[in-house]
Amino acid sequence: MNTVDKLKLSQNVAVISGLFCSVVALLLLLNYWQFSKNDPIESKALEVLVQRLKEDPNNDGLKTEIRNYDLLARKAYFNSQWQVKTGAYLLLFGALVLALALRIYYSLKSRIEEPEKKLENEIASRVLAQKGIWIAGAVVFGLAIVASFATVDYLDKYNWESLVFEEQVSPVENGVEVIDVGVVSEEPEVADGVSATSEDVIEEVIVEDTQQEELTELEVAESAAQAEQPVSSSSASSAADLTVETIRNNHNSFRGPMGQGISYHKNIPVQWDGKSGENILWKAPIPKHGYNSPVIWGNKVFIAGADNQNREVYCFDSRDGKLLWTGKAGQIPGSPATPPKVTEDTGLSASTLTTDGQQVYAIFATGDVVAFDMNGNRVWAKNLGVPDNHYGHSSSLIIWDNKLLIQYDTNKAGKVIALNAATGDPVWETSRQAKISWASPVLVQSDGKFQLVLTADPIVAGYDVQTGKELWSVNCMMGEVGPSVGYTNGVVYAANEYATLAAIDLKTREILWENDMFLPEAASPLAHNGILFIATSYGVLVCYDAKTGEEYWEHDVGRTLYSSPVYADGKLFMMDNDGVVRIYEYGKEMKLIAENELGETTGTTPAFAEGRIFIRGEEHLFCIGK
Amino acid sequence: MIKKMKLIFFLFTVFYLFSTGISAQQQRFPKPEFESGYEQPSTITPEPRALALEYFDVLVLLVVLSLATWLALKKRSRQGILWLSVFTLIYFGFYRNGCICSIGAIQNVTLSFADPGYAISLTALLFFILPLAFTLFFGRTFCAGACPLGAIQDLVIFKPLSLPKWLNKTLGIIPYIYLSLAVLFAATGTDFIICRYDPFVGIFRMDAKFHMVVLGISFLLMGMFVARPYCRFFCPYGVLLSWMSRFSRWHLTITPARCIQCKLCTNSCPFDAIDFPTNEKEVVKSGLGPKKFLTYALLIPLWMIMGIFAGERSHTWLSKANQDVYLAELLISNPEMKNDPDNIDVQTFLASGKTMETLVQEAEVIRRKFYFGSMIAGGFIGLVVGMTLLNTVVFRKRQDFEPHKGNCVSCGRCMDYCPVEK
Repeated sequence: MNTVDKLKLSQNVAVISGLFCSVVALLLLLNYWQFSKNDPIESKALEVLVQRLKEDPNNDGLKTEIRNYDLLARKAYFNSQWQVKTGAYLLLFGALVLALALRIYYSLKSRIEEPEKKLENEIASRVLAQKGIWIAGAVVFGLAIVASFATVDYLDKYNWESLVFEEQVSPVENGVEVIDVGVVSEEPEVADGVSATSEDVIEEVIVEDTQQEELTELEVAESAAQAEQPVSSSSASSAADLTVETIRNNHNSFRGPMGQGISYHKNIPVQWDGKSGENILWKAPIPKHGYNSPVIWGNKVFIAGADNQNREVYCFDSRDGKLLWTGKAGQIPGSPATPPKVTEDTGLSASTLTTDGQQVYAIFATGDVVAFDMNGNRVWAKNLGVPDNHYGHSSSLIIWDNKLLIQYDTNKAGKVIALNAATGDPVWETSRQAKISWASPVLVQSDGKFQLVLTADPIVAGYDVQTGKELWSVNCMMGEVGPSVGYTNGVVYAANEYATLAAIDLKTREILWENDMFLPEAASPLAHNGILFIATSYGVLVCYDAKTGEEYWEHDVGRTLYSSPVYADGKLFMMDNDGVVRIYEYGKEMKLIAENELGETTGTTPAFAEGRIFIRGEEHLFCIGK
Repeated sequence: MIKKMKLIFFLFTVFYLFSTGISAQQQRFPKPEFESGYEQPSTITPEPRALALEYFDVLVLLVVLSLATWLALKKRSRQGILWLSVFTLIYFGFYRNGCICSIGAIQNVTLSFADPGYAISLTALLFFILPLAFTLFFGRTFCAGACPLGAIQDLVIFKPLSLPKWLNKTLGIIPYIYLSLAVLFAATGTDFIICRYDPFVGIFRMDAKFHMVVLGISFLLMGMFVARPYCRFFCPYGVLLSWMSRFSRWHLTITPARCIQCKLCTNSCPFDAIDFPTNEKEVVKSGLGPKKFLTYALLIPLWMIMGIFAGERSHTWLSKANQDVYLAELLISNPEMKNDPDNIDVQTFLASGKTMETLVQEAEVIRRKFYFGSMIAGGFIGLVVGMTLLNTVVFRKRQDFEPHKGNCVSCGRCMDYCPVEK
């Protein structure tokens, strides 16, 4: 083969491989065009089908159609991917052949070049190079300096942002300080002293009521003093007002203020009938199911509901039962595509919400925590990791000191978490040497500081709200703990079925007394004014002397008691699972004042506000009042 | 005929550029949602390459380096070097997917110095050191036959144009800037930019983002006329190799014996790396003498101060490339981004449980590193500019046509042009 033949051959190979490359590239472009037209990710047909399924979730035919369509789209997608990959390899092969052919072609065509007669003037080129380097150096450094002027240092701004943020939250801290150094912090101490010297329970009530009046006066005075200061918040509903007094004026968590089962509202009705409508001011249907109890702030009542598709928070107007807004807890990163398996008696929305008057917070069995403002705008949402819980997560939320406090005891690990209420950012997280539990946190005040008391198998323990540090723990509990603790006069009452009822001195960590005759399965103990109530799931309500554990009386109602007993307006309110609320005189002797039927089954705990009772039934939210 | 060939070039270029867009469409396909209780298998991370195979790579590199050196210096075979570079392209390029490579190893070495918690692998260290060691003794034979990036560019040189010296000199500053930025970003744990912006790795892997594939193909197309553009005007490792090569004892020579000044080799080097004999008369006439030398020597500290100042001023801007700094600033400037479920960075941060305060603190630590690092980088660039300027007034007495030790990649093309025999 001579040079001319080689030239011809390389030329022909170059032309053929060039055409080959062009055809492959064209096919790839066609593939791309076709794919972009029928992108399964953006398939509108599929979207329409999914939308239809949302409206008709039980349509099995539609589900099958979606699955088939989805499978087809995926096949098309991966087929297209294979074509792209194969095409790219063919293109590479063609390009290599083309490059080789061109190379041979050009090398065969190359001629012996004559040497340059005149070489580049080195001096001139060096002078030019100097100019080039000057310009290049100046341009590089100039650009760097220009970039510096065009750059905003947001990290520096963070301090400023933080200051603003602190200004916003400082009223809350001021509020806490008021409690610490002023009045409220002293209140239990005084009450302790009184109760220690008094043997008569009724006397204790009078003394405590008197002290509360003093407290109110002092706080009013303090508020007035604060009002004179320019820094003081003028908004009656700001977070600054989240004092003990403020939450006592509302019902902001499960079992009322601080989760202790004590309501401070007066003029609570004692007579109603759900069937006839007597004293039922309104009843509103609840869109989605849940076992959480109502929480109240001002004229707003909050509950939550969930099904496998959606998790929602509802806000009702407490005056007329109008559904003001529905907050969706969807599209939360980390939230599982399908909710975890839960049992029917717990469900996906068993945890009661909490509110600070600024925002309302909810948690679901998916581990989703969400915050809405009082108008239903979602402020933040996050997923804490799906709780490994064989019944479903049910521990309720509680808020204090601008921290959303979450008891997160799961089969994997026990922990308690504090999130920044404003942002959802973690503030602290404390691991607990505890097994899974379904109980809720209770706030108590000791030595002027607030602590969170949690119960689970095997410990009852207190945690500093500020730091999350475990302050104490007593090893006394066992089993699947559902009831939260009761608290009064420096004594924590923890109980659980098949375990024990233990009275624990908060300061000495001593178990003052124990009893295992009547034990609750779900209802939390109520301790107030020297009296302790236990409600068992088999229908016995038992009254004890809180100090000694001596039983005063018991009442076998013969109905399941999951709802927790609540003290309100000097009376005990105990609802059974059939929706019958029994009202007792709060005393050492049993005196049943009334039995009122709701007309709906329920296992939730009633909420009290402004002379009204709010009860979540199986399907409706009831407002009872005169 | 030439017109036809040009047409083929054009068609090929256009279609290839368009078709690369297709590979960029490979998006992550959403997982199907099952309601039957089927559990998605967890993502599997591929096992790292077996240690023995990593050492085998080092062995291959050593053999290739030795062969390239032998072919360039002893055998003086351009054909041998060409076929060796084809092997390198196939093995280190397409088979090893362009990783590990000596160029990127700069960053591993830097990070191992800057971060005590980072342990560099022996393989990465050897990939960094071996070519430098060979270059120190034998010139840049690594570039000739052992670098896949060099090989792919070398194979597409069809019609190389000679660039004027001033342009070569000016563009020659870019690798120093790239090197200083690469070291800065690696030392601050920000990014391995050499790897991220490797223009050819997408071709080796047959998969890359659209703009990277375009960049790679652009380099290759440009490389048809401007030989090895990446090696000459971007490669940060080339800077180190160039330094080493200047001290090489046994460097490739154009002629095997005595230069006969035939000038046949003047256009043989596609990289403009042949120095011509010095014309002393012109040098004396030019005025680029001791005065200029002194002026430029005194300017070096000024250039460095300017560089340090520019580095100090631009450190905030540069630090934004760091993921933590970027995220912290994003969340400070746009707090509502926390509610954006589509922002993976933000959502990953939120899911990590880390507080905003911690993030900002970490970002501030990184920015502090950038503060000092940028000043060092700026000072280094200032030094390079000053030294390059100084170099333009330094004349070395040269009587023959010689390869420029710093810039010559020892490809051996010039040897074929020399009529002198041993």
